Amino acid sequence: MIEIIDFYVELGGFRLRIDRLVVHDNEYLVVLGPSGAGKTVFLHALCGLIKHRGKVIVDRVDVSSLPPEKRGFVLVPQNFALFPHMRVYDNIAFGLKIRRVPPEIIEKKVVEISRKLGIDHLLDRYPHQLSGGEQQRVALARALVVEPKMILLDEPLSNLDPKTRLEALNLLRELHRKLRFTAIHVTHNFIEALTLGNRIAYIDNGEIKVIATPREFIKHQCAKPYLKELEPLINTIKT
Amino acid sequence: MLLYRKKSIELFLVFVVGVTSIAILFVLMPLASIFLFFDPSLANKVLFIDPNLSSEARSAFITAFVAASVSTLILMGIGIPTAYVLAKIDFPFKRFVEGLIDVPLVIPHAVAGIMILLCFGSRGLVGSKIGIGIEDSFWGIVAVMSFVSLPLMVDSVKAGFRFVDVSLEAVARTLGANKRQVFMYITLPIAFRTIITGAILSWARAMSEVGALLIVAYYPKTINVLILEWFNIYGLRYAVVLSVPLIVIALLLFIVIRVLGGRS
Repeated sequence: MIEIIDFYVELGGFRLRIDRLVVHDNEYLVVLGPSGAGKTVFLHALCGLIKHRGKVIVDRVDVSSLPPEKRGFVLVPQNFALFPHMRVYDNIAFGLKIRRVPPEIIEKKVVEISRKLGIDHLLDRYPHQLSGGEQQRVALARALVVEPKMILLDEPLSNLDPKTRLEALNLLRELHRKLRFTAIHVTHNFIEALTLGNRIAYIDNGEIKVIATPREFIKHQCAKPYLKELEPLINTIKT
Repeated sequence: MLLYRKKSIELFLVFVVGVTSIAILFVLMPLASIFLFFDPSLANKVLFIDPNLSSEARSAFITAFVAASVSTLILMGIGIPTAYVLAKIDFPFKRFVEGLIDVPLVIPHAVAGIMILLCFGSRGLVGSKIGIGIEDSFWGIVAVMSFVSLPLMVDSVKAGFRFVDVSLEAVARTLGANKRQVFMYITLPIAFRTIITGAILSWARAMSEVGALLIVAYYPKTINVLILEWFNIYGLRYAVVLSVPLIVIALLLFIVIRVLGGRS
């Protein structure tokens, strides 16, 4: 279980304040909010990449003062950030090599996760030789292989074309069902939040306004602008 | 109306292509001239047959080559961390420090020589305190070459480090790498080509230095000092014989830089 308590970030005039947020084990929490709400700042601060105040407690251990490499959270950014000078195999193996895992175990784990994500035929390629969807799978494999306490996904679907986005959405749902990892996924996309989240935390102006299950969330005041946006589409389907 | 616009575009194209041709010829003609003026039989005599001249020429080539290489190695040691700090870390007066690093680019060469002499000479500000004297020594040549080449090394590598996407470094941190490991396994390999380019540019700049060397270290003679000396004593033909090998080296380095640039 991850507890975020009295979390406060100040960055160039922007303020983010979270009084208390709990992410349960194996939960897929979606942080939904408009652009500039503080979603990426929240993820980066949670990783320790930006200074913050307050506590981040992982399984009853306070990791707030630890550097990013010791917190046990892995970031998957919007652009996937695959290391361009490494082949897919070395990208996925990076975290394990840093942890000095024996080579034979690294190979076993890399092959295993690659199979699960359907990218075992891409291991010898370089990132620039991959499609957007393949890059996303490699980024997920690289994050999952180190078995982190939590994966932090920063708008992971926004860089994909509509068809690949739908495939990636299903992939994330399927992966979470199979591997039961703990994740925070930030997005501005309402459908993405409803489809993927066990719970949705709505963030605006650096504050979490509501945390609810998708069913509860669509009844909430915060969901109204999103539902209004979808109205023409719903009406089209009805007619 | 359309015809008028087409005509004006054509005139503009003729103008820019004409000006570009002048620029190309401005570089190409002197280059062609020195090769046309080059006397192979004299080169054979000077560089291989005449024992005094050939030994003096070879020694000057080797001195310049070794000093430029040592200076480049020193600059890699100093320049890579400096470039990293300037590219990745924000601190007060950073723009001032960046400007300061570039000062050797704008100082006249002879003045740079005087500055180095006043600082590191046996009676200089630092030299007298720590008991060193670099005048007319190999280390004087290295000091001059390092001073004039430092901005090229730092600026090239800095551009390379800035080019490295910060999200790559951020992800590497969350995957378990500390700052040193991120630098070694992510930042440095991605910026490697610009480091090599910086090293080549620094080396070429060091090899081309003469003004500051005439003041700090006339001896041991480097190739540029010798070119100047032979021009004064024996005339232009002898100076050309020494110059052509330098041009060939410069052109080869230029090709290497273009190939590296093309790949990156």
